Amino acid sequence: MKFGFAARLSWVLALAGCLTAGLTGLYVYRASHDLLVQDAKDELSSTAKMIDQRIDSLHLDIIRDLSLLANHPASHEFLQQEKPGAENTLATLFELLIVNKPAYLQIRLISANEYGLEKVRVDRDKSGPVRVTGDNLQEKGYFPYVSDTLKMLRGSTYLSPIVINHERGAHAGLNQPTSIFATPVVDADNHTIGVIVINLDLKNAFDSLASDLPRTFRLFLANQQGDFLIHPDSSKTFGYDRGQRILLQDEFPATAALVERKTPEITVISNTGAYADAPMLTAFVRDTDRELSGSNTLLLGVGQPMQQVLAKADELGDKILLIIGAVGMAGIVLAVALARYVTNPINKLSNTVQSFSVHQDIGSLPTQRKDELGQLARNFLVMHNQIKQQFAQLQQSHQEMENLAQHDALTSLPNRRLFLDRLENAIARARRSSQPLALLFIDLDKFKAINDCFGHEAGDAVLQSVAKRLSIEVRESDTVARLGGDEFVVLLENIDSCDKVAEVAVKLCNSMHEPIPYANQFLNISMSVGVSLYPQDGETLDQLINNADRAMYQAKADPEQRVHFATSPTSAS
Amino acid sequence: MRIMKLIKNNIRKKTQGRRHWLFTSLLALTCAGISASATAAPNTLRVLAWPGYADADLVKVFEQRTGSHVEVTFIDTDEILWQRINQNGAQDFDVFAVNTAELQRYIASNLVAPINPAAAPNIAKQQALFRDAEKIPGLVHSGKRYAVPYTFSEMGLIYDRAQISTPPTSIAVLWDPRYQGKVLLYNGGTHNFSLAAQVLGNSNPFQLQDKQWSAAVERLIALRRNASGFYKQPDESAELFKHKFAALMFANYGSQQVKLLKAAGIDVGYVIPKEGALAWLDCWAITARAHDSRLAHQWIDYMLEPQPGRALLEHQGLANTTSPSPYLTSNDRIRWLEPVENVTRREQLWERIVSGDRASKVLAP
Repeated sequence: MKFGFAARLSWVLALAGCLTAGLTGLYVYRASHDLLVQDAKDELSSTAKMIDQRIDSLHLDIIRDLSLLANHPASHEFLQQEKPGAENTLATLFELLIVNKPAYLQIRLISANEYGLEKVRVDRDKSGPVRVTGDNLQEKGYFPYVSDTLKMLRGSTYLSPIVINHERGAHAGLNQPTSIFATPVVDADNHTIGVIVINLDLKNAFDSLASDLPRTFRLFLANQQGDFLIHPDSSKTFGYDRGQRILLQDEFPATAALVERKTPEITVISNTGAYADAPMLTAFVRDTDRELSGSNTLLLGVGQPMQQVLAKADELGDKILLIIGAVGMAGIVLAVALARYVTNPINKLSNTVQSFSVHQDIGSLPTQRKDELGQLARNFLVMHNQIKQQFAQLQQSHQEMENLAQHDALTSLPNRRLFLDRLENAIARARRSSQPLALLFIDLDKFKAINDCFGHEAGDAVLQSVAKRLSIEVRESDTVARLGGDEFVVLLENIDSCDKVAEVAVKLCNSMHEPIPYANQFLNISMSVGVSLYPQDGETLDQLINNADRAMYQAKADPEQRVHFATSPTSAS
Repeated sequence: MRIMKLIKNNIRKKTQGRRHWLFTSLLALTCAGISASATAAPNTLRVLAWPGYADADLVKVFEQRTGSHVEVTFIDTDEILWQRINQNGAQDFDVFAVNTAELQRYIASNLVAPINPAAAPNIAKQQALFRDAEKIPGLVHSGKRYAVPYTFSEMGLIYDRAQISTPPTSIAVLWDPRYQGKVLLYNGGTHNFSLAAQVLGNSNPFQLQDKQWSAAVERLIALRRNASGFYKQPDESAELFKHKFAALMFANYGSQQVKLLKAAGIDVGYVIPKEGALAWLDCWAITARAHDSRLAHQWIDYMLEPQPGRALLEHQGLANTTSPSPYLTSNDRIRWLEPVENVTRREQLWERIVSGDRASKVLAP
């Protein structure tokens, strides 16, 4: 392939192919990127909502347990009459609940009197439920879960802010993140006589709520004000317990809208601050449980590192790159092939045109093709044929002209010009091959009388007949020419001997014996022949002609001798 | 393909750019740090103070006047203050602000240098309460004065005028059964034991004698039974006061809480009980290894001028030592905080009390 049109065409085609593949790949990559992010957003958001629902159903469970305990006859009997049997019943019930509900840290019946003294209390310890009695029972009157709950209506439930439990003697619950749920115990006269309190282990509750989350997910929980309660970095939780405020809205500024109740949910892509190196996508929801009074709002977030969200996109990106590479390569090959396919016939045409000749048949042309190239080839073939035809005509007329210029119009014998040409060539050949040649000068006798008696036409007829008879008598390789008027000349090449020449001369003379028919008459004719031989009668054209001419006149002068040699044949041999 | 690569490169370039920027700024910061420490020459004063004690405008005036350069570092807890001064043997700072109770351990560790009152003439212009250093516990040791009072806050009683018509006069009002479930208290053992000791009439509320503990515990359990809640932060106290419809509050943060409650729309009164209000007193002290003691004295002297004093009062709501406090009358008694006999024991017992334990349990070993 030449570095021309084909190369350029394949370059453009390959470039266009690669560009198309690249742009398509880029678009697909970006579209898939956006799709993945959107998918992850949806997934995180629905996960957050799912956990949110689980929180609500957990709350509902606790509310049912509280309600059961608050309405249990034993609660009323023990608070009102201090029945020991009732105390044991309640303690057993509390112990059973602690055993069955791993997230319950503490269940208590607290009196409305005696400064909120705990009446029945079961704590969770490492070994299991521990019943707390006697001096170990504490006065909890000022705690909001007692003082606030005592003011509430039957059947309503109080929920404390989530705090680190510093209440001394809380067994497993000590220094643990805790939510406290409480409900009033209301007697038949509608007097609130105590509260039932359940402490919930926040960590345990959330571990089980979020146990089925994919490992790459990060869980965030904040209270109504935005203080972190659960954070992948545990040092950021419960800052307020240490006199610090570590807030959701500081780490994720966009969540301010969530904290300020401007939106119930929000999805945030964090890529500044702590997330500058490892951006994260997080969906946050605000959960307000209207079944509960108190701190009933939680802000929940489920996050996933962007790197993981986009891992698939990167994988896809690599695949796309691979495909684009393959498609690009295929495109290049295809482009080269296409360029060859297009340029090959053109090249062929071009080569054909280049080797154009009227003498040869045109080479193979793609004339069978049904496309533009086929059309071009067919047009070219037509043109070729026309040129060929016209050239043949031209050559023919040229040959005719040539013929005319070298032949005598009357007898069709070579004329003087052609004869001189041939003689010169013959002399050259004879010189080279040392072969003798003979020149016979012939003049018709009394030809003038024929012209005068029978007219020019008769003369012409005689000349034609003579020409014919002379031509018949010599070899094909010999030349018979008419020099003009009634003068003929015969050139004999490759002669064996003078005798042979004399023999031919005699044969020529004899061919004139038969009268020539013309217009119902017969005309008699005879001729005189002068012979010069190469090399003895001359080595040049002029010498040979002059000698033959002179010999012919000597023959004419002697009526007995129609053939006269410039030198005697004996001397010649 | 080339385009994808280009884009990838571009992204890489961007992140590199960011990283580059980060490195540059880190470098700049490091250089700034180096030059800063390099210029900590004699004419630079390094101040360690609490927020609001050395505002930029005040610092600028001092710099212009003395031709010096002032570097201010802020701390917000006693512990961090202690760490900053203690590390490198106090040579990182020239002058710092510390309360009288805390000052004791700095003196004991030889981290502070005596003050020369003559080098800070404004000391003579302080209010009577502060002029006599000997009368302020912990300021003078072995005849040498170690600090100059700068600002203080007393812990008075806040009451709701709507619920209490006659201003209370004694700390004992916190135990008044009329206000059961309407009293807000500070959740801190050290101060609360001092409070109990005051109401029990102990001569030194900061040093409980062995036989005084059970009575104090009994008083504090009674206080708990009267309480509607315990707070730690000023904001929290204002919120609780409003939410619980409290009638009375022991104001651990003094006038600052009065300001907050008034801002919350509650008509509160503020009194200093006759037993005397506990009060912290922040003083300026000069480190034992200060580069330029003369300049440090100049700083203290400047801090006692009217303008810095006004700034304290107006911007921080804190009293100064050169003009009469708007929160105190001349008859009010102040008990400057002193180190207590045993912080650990006070806090341990308080933890039991606030958890709801009864006396027998609280005093158990």
